[in-house]
Amino acid sequence: MEQSESERSESRPWQRPRKMNVGPAERKASLAGGAALALSGLRNLSRRNYASGLAMIAAGGMFLYRGQTGYCGLYDAMGVDTMHTQPGGLRIEKAVTIGLPPDEVYEFWRNLENLPRFMKHLEAVEVTGPRTSHWKATGPGGISAEWDAEMMEDTPGQQISWHSVGEADIPNKGSVEFKEAPGNRGTEVRVTIDYYPPGGAAGKAAAKIAHGINAQQLEEDLKRLKQILEVGEETTARRTAD
Amino acid sequence: MRAVCWHGRHDVRVDEVADPQILSKNDAIVKVALTCICGSDLHLYNGYVPTMKKGDILGHEFVGEIVEVGSRVTRFHVGDRVIVPFPISCGACWYCKHELWSLCDNSNPNAWMLEHMYGDTGGGIFGYSHLYGGFAGGQAEYVRVPFADVGLERIPSGVPYEQVVLLTDILPTGYQAAYYCNINPGDTVAVWGCGPVGLMAMMSARHLGAERVIGIDRFPDRLQAARAQCQAEVLNYEEVDVAEALQNMTGGRGPDSCIDAVGMEAVGTGFEGVYDSVKQALRLETDRASALRQLAKACRKGGTLSIVGVYAGFVDKFPMGALFAKGLTLRCGQAHVHKYLPHLVKLVAEQQLNPSSIITHRLPLQEAPMGYKMFLNKQDACIKIVLDPQAGATGTERAPQGEGA
Repeated sequence: MEQSESERSESRPWQRPRKMNVGPAERKASLAGGAALALSGLRNLSRRNYASGLAMIAAGGMFLYRGQTGYCGLYDAMGVDTMHTQPGGLRIEKAVTIGLPPDEVYEFWRNLENLPRFMKHLEAVEVTGPRTSHWKATGPGGISAEWDAEMMEDTPGQQISWHSVGEADIPNKGSVEFKEAPGNRGTEVRVTIDYYPPGGAAGKAAAKIAHGINAQQLEEDLKRLKQILEVGEETTARRTAD
Repeated sequence: MRAVCWHGRHDVRVDEVADPQILSKNDAIVKVALTCICGSDLHLYNGYVPTMKKGDILGHEFVGEIVEVGSRVTRFHVGDRVIVPFPISCGACWYCKHELWSLCDNSNPNAWMLEHMYGDTGGGIFGYSHLYGGFAGGQAEYVRVPFADVGLERIPSGVPYEQVVLLTDILPTGYQAAYYCNINPGDTVAVWGCGPVGLMAMMSARHLGAERVIGIDRFPDRLQAARAQCQAEVLNYEEVDVAEALQNMTGGRGPDSCIDAVGMEAVGTGFEGVYDSVKQALRLETDRASALRQLAKACRKGGTLSIVGVYAGFVDKFPMGALFAKGLTLRCGQAHVHKYLPHLVKLVAEQQLNPSSIITHRLPLQEAPMGYKMFLNKQDACIKIVLDPQAGATGTERAPQGEGA
């Protein structure tokens, strides 16, 4: 029998295979706090307070590990997950109103190979199966990333959502909703993208900087989509072809 | 071709640049016959508009002849003489469809910048900074005009370019200012600023049925032009208290509508003038609002303030109390030129309006740097300068250069 939608996403976690359940802000705090605890523990040891010193080192080590890996065994046991429930993380949300009926806007988007026409960071999207596709993106400084994506929800004229699968360079998930705007204004297109940059403090910092740029990029992307659908092409202010 | 390029504050030059090309099927290339220096170009010249880049081609008032069209252009052909509205409009978005042409959603590729500054986007404008799209302007021999079918307006045969060149911006802008006043029989309209747009606003207010028009300025030449061209009564704000004088002239009521054709670089008097200049110099406010404050104070209860002078950022000491206490209506914005053009072209062709009467100077394009300086300093009784790019043109049809040329 077919798996239900929720079973499918549970059995195929969209993030890297290694389990993470500690949010970015908390991981940073864990690293700092863990280091401080461990240092105090060492100081206690040097003052011959062996019991408390060892306990502090152990606790500090636990926090350091938790910060570094983003995994907390205690959290796991308690069913807590601050990574996936934290709304302020690396989430981008933008909306635009396009003067066409929802079906037509949906149709354009559903043909995923159209996406690079207005999403400037996407180099190509290749459809590899009824629900699967391969994405190629380029970032600032020519950094490129690739991933496979799987569609989770596809309701014609209403919503498409997807998530990356397997060893994605940048694990991500997203959804786009198409809703009829009031007063014959067309379609409200609302895009939500969550992405999780590669591990390590450096990757995290870079991603944080990129976040601001990306939110603006999505906004520009949606304005380009609107131009393509309403006008038939992307507007340019250039004067000459080169 | 040659074009007037911005190089910095008080530094414009006539540069040799590449000719524009058709880049979209909706484009037309217009060979510019006449172009003007606009009062709002002075905001660029004075360095008050952000996102100007060295080499940007200036100018948003121009008329000319079509020399090339893209494959999707159907309303126009090579050889057509056309008026080019200064706002660029796509014709397809909700705003264009509701005649809010200058608020077009799709014509400005840098719309996100305006969105960050103002909370929403505005359409593109020729030669008016990268906030407004970074489009090359019309103070050049040739211009690429996007959305040609939407924007261009044909010039009736027999009507010379000079009669219609002011229809690209200042007449529709002045007309919109007067239109927004919702003029009724017996109304008095006061106009702050007797520059080109102020004169067009007075001319339009008369045309729309205002019984009295009052022009306010400090330059005798401009006040004289308001008297002569628009049959206006005039006030010199350096000589009288404007609000008090207007009250006395209108039986203690105040003008029914007040038009601000001055904008962000208003010259104030007394303490208030010094206050604004200092704050603007220190970047504590971006716009000087002395004219705007007078409007609010002088207008009759329940009247309308119609603002067409350009404001860019923040003003201090805006008399919100007066606005509220007197129940004033405030209307403003870039002119929706496309909306008024067909009607205005007809009025000009039938000689019901004669906007070109305010042109005081005709210069070859080459003289643009001198023209900017002269216009800024109001020298030589300068009110409106028209530039001719084809006088000594060097474009694609230029005469062979070198020996014997």
